[in-house]
Amino acid sequence: MPQSPSTEDRYGLSEQESRALCMRVLNSSKAEHVRVQVQSGWRGFTRVATNRITTSGGSEDVSVRIVSVFGKRLASIQTNSLDDASLGAAVRKSEELARIAPENPEYMPELGSQQYVPVSAYYDATGQMTPDARAQAAVYAIEKSQQSQTVAAGYLDVRAGTRAIATSNDLFAYQQATGVSSTLTIRTPDGTSSGWAGDHANNWANIETERIAEDAVRKCNDWRGKTALDPGKYTIILEPTAMGMLMSRMSRVFDARRADEGRSYFSKPGGNNKIGERIFSTRVTLRSDPAMLDAETAPFTNDGQPINSRDWVENGVLKNLSYSRFWAEKKGKEALPAPSNLAMVGGNDSLEDMIRSTQRGVLITRFWYIRGLNPRTISYTGLTRDGTFLIENGKISRPVNNFRFNQSLAELLKNIEMVGPSVQVAASENSSVSMPIIVPAVKVRDFTLASVSDAI
Amino acid sequence: MLRPKRSDGLTAHNITTALQHAIDQRLSRRDFMKLAGIAGLTVAAVPSQWGCGPASDPKFNPVPQERALIEQAIEAVKDAGASYGDVRISRHWYESITTREKQITGVSSTDSYGIGIRALVGGSWGFAATRILTTDSVAKTAKKAVEIAKINNRIAPSDVTLAPIDVVRDVYWETPHEIDPFDVSIEDKAALLFQINEAALQTDGVNFISSGIQSVKEQRLLATTEGTLIQQTFLRINPSVNITAVSADGRDFQTRGNVAAAASLGWEYILGLDLPGNAPRWGEEAVMKLSATPVEPGTWDLVLHPSHLWLTIHENVGHPTELDRALGYEANYAGTSFLSPPEEVLNKLRLGPEFMQFQGNRTEVGGGATVGFDDEGVPAEAWPIIKDGIFVDYQTTREQAAWISDLTGITRGHGCSYGQTWARIPFQRMPNVSLMPGEDDYSEEDVIAATDHGIFIEGNGSYSIDQQRYNFQFAGQVFWEIKNGKKHRMLRDVAYVGRTPEFWNSLAMIGGEQTYELGTTFGDAKGQPGQSNAVSHGCPISLFRNATILNTA
Repeated sequence: MPQSPSTEDRYGLSEQESRALCMRVLNSSKAEHVRVQVQSGWRGFTRVATNRITTSGGSEDVSVRIVSVFGKRLASIQTNSLDDASLGAAVRKSEELARIAPENPEYMPELGSQQYVPVSAYYDATGQMTPDARAQAAVYAIEKSQQSQTVAAGYLDVRAGTRAIATSNDLFAYQQATGVSSTLTIRTPDGTSSGWAGDHANNWANIETERIAEDAVRKCNDWRGKTALDPGKYTIILEPTAMGMLMSRMSRVFDARRADEGRSYFSKPGGNNKIGERIFSTRVTLRSDPAMLDAETAPFTNDGQPINSRDWVENGVLKNLSYSRFWAEKKGKEALPAPSNLAMVGGNDSLEDMIRSTQRGVLITRFWYIRGLNPRTISYTGLTRDGTFLIENGKISRPVNNFRFNQSLAELLKNIEMVGPSVQVAASENSSVSMPIIVPAVKVRDFTLASVSDAI
Repeated sequence: MLRPKRSDGLTAHNITTALQHAIDQRLSRRDFMKLAGIAGLTVAAVPSQWGCGPASDPKFNPVPQERALIEQAIEAVKDAGASYGDVRISRHWYESITTREKQITGVSSTDSYGIGIRALVGGSWGFAATRILTTDSVAKTAKKAVEIAKINNRIAPSDVTLAPIDVVRDVYWETPHEIDPFDVSIEDKAALLFQINEAALQTDGVNFISSGIQSVKEQRLLATTEGTLIQQTFLRINPSVNITAVSADGRDFQTRGNVAAAASLGWEYILGLDLPGNAPRWGEEAVMKLSATPVEPGTWDLVLHPSHLWLTIHENVGHPTELDRALGYEANYAGTSFLSPPEEVLNKLRLGPEFMQFQGNRTEVGGGATVGFDDEGVPAEAWPIIKDGIFVDYQTTREQAAWISDLTGITRGHGCSYGQTWARIPFQRMPNVSLMPGEDDYSEEDVIAATDHGIFIEGNGSYSIDQQRYNFQFAGQVFWEIKNGKKHRMLRDVAYVGRTPEFWNSLAMIGGEQTYELGTTFGDAKGQPGQSNAVSHGCPISLFRNATILNTA
């Protein structure tokens, strides 16, 4: 673990400071039980558009959430005013609200002290990053763009902060973390082509500023002169970012209660679920692990439950669904928090192999505006963006128009034919630091490109 | 008729239509002041200087400590060498109460308080924000904002210039309301939600219901180096109800959600919706959806109810008319716009029939984006965006006005600057963008009667649109087949897909003022880091010819 800085205006609170803040709440609480969550940290950003830095800045904050409990009545108050009077008022307010709140029969008692896997998600290279360093990275992209007579729009999101949880049953958890997301869109001045590249990591040292600029410029150049292609069912090759944007949706679906209540793909008639059944291609293993290198997350939830490494799908078989503590008790199962990151285990197929083996297919760089259509089939709609290409006879034959897809992700995971090495990708649509997603490029048959999009 | 009937009580729509008469499409300043007076704005007769005496607007009453800090911050950014700066001290309260069936699932309240400072050096912005409201911290934060602006101006300079403004000082504005939602107890809110749940669960076949009330209050103090000093209080409230029916064999489930609009109003708005009275109907609709007829894909006319159409407007009129977006400023996230470049589309591109009028409007009572002043101190106004079917103007801030002033003849910004909280840099955000009701005053029945083979859609389902706002695919909550001018039977799994210019040019008929309603989201997303904006879109019931319908099952 790196030394915790004691100043709160940059990295957030140290473990000691967090514990002291939690104790101020615990000591003044008159509730039967109380839980405290402390978040602190700093966020810096630099935006580029029209080959200039448009906005840049930083903000820092510390907030405390207090959950006061009387019997099964509880209420939660969050504030960032931490002087004695304000914090005391927040504690009192949470107690007042908890007393009058109707009972929540699903409330589970506060946890006592827990064992967590030791995980550090803090990287000094990220935590020490200055506005100057961000501006230098932005200028690199701007210069590359100017050299190729294109127009850059990009975003650098840098975060450094801490989380702490404490309960009146002597639980205490603390973690420091950093995260960074760097993304770049390169467009031709006439708006007829667009390319994109990006990275997401906890460690700034692993963000490849030069490669991002080169890839985005190359994509934009490759996609120039796109021609029409009809919608239909295609074999598709998803680059890792495209796959990651879809798999980030999969991180939310492994929920036992929704399955048991008949509201999920994993539901079985009669109020049961599909754990233990083969549901996807044997090439699919989906795993979460808070200790995953450079994709580390907190090893605990907001109520202090330990998060451990877990396989959700192993070689196509559904191994686990997440159980809230309440649902686990009701069903006689072990409580299991939802994934905090998500990795699909990679394979050995290179992108070149996938293209070479494809008679006719479409290569997709990334997606946009992905929205749910049907939770029973895990169907989504969305659009391709920033580089879409036709593959014919083992070669990329031409750039083509964008498409809207309508596709069940369950079917996609059944129809996987080739799998590349897994890499971390910038999977969120707004390119902010978000849940780490580690995925391979994949080749998939029978993917529905439903209609043409004229957008560039 | 299973459509929810709103009570005659106070609704966003009622208030809006009452005030709408007063709003000309090009609002004069005097008219605005008259209207703003009704809507809760008071304006100081004689602007006071920094620190001089009590404000002449009796409602303008910032905490002395805040006033001292904001003035200190303004002086600090000037001293550090900024050519312009603006400072926001704001406090935000969010309260959420949620239930499912007969139990509470969450009672939560959040407040966030801090200062955000934006500074301009040369033509480059810098921004810094902190929650620590002490003189030391404010001095340090002001310095940081200017320092970042200087770095940017040195390394990759930009060329920001700000449009002129009439400086307004010592002014207070608040969201028009009768009952502050934060004055209503958690018990009363929970009691209402349990009434809704109970009413819905009485319907045979309803298995689950979740409901909630989200309330937002913001107190904002704004100062600029030009002398602006404005205090505002914004209120917003969002009811949510989601009802699920699972089929007897467990193989299917259907939901009815998005039943009522959010609004920038008080608790009286929620009471006026009669949510418990309507809940059984929504429950019946969820159950009916299980056995509704799967839609036959193909070409159908669409009759879009305002509870559905408002979000379509948001996506394919609201977003593409953001000027920063049209010029590439959002290219790395939300994308660009088919309404670009401005010189090729402004006053040239026909987007719909002669009777189609859209206006940007930050004064519409109940609207999510309705304010007294924007985050740069520009007074709220209304202006035409599409006039007689032709695209005539974008949404702008002070920074953007000059980008198109030679095309529009308008040298001032339209007051579209907003930062979500003290911790976020303000930038161009969407005003309420509304489709004006028709002069022929057609009713909902008239519009349905004009449809032979169509689908009537209420509420919002899955919404997705491309990054230039051409290709969209939108779904609803409830679908009715219209056959020979009459509602015939319920359909399911309906989505329409289209291309924006063709879609609005297929608008064949719109209802009158009596059919006009607002829809509202608190979650209009834009920018990096992402910021949420509250915004409404009003529209009458509308008929579109020959839409392409998909079956999404």
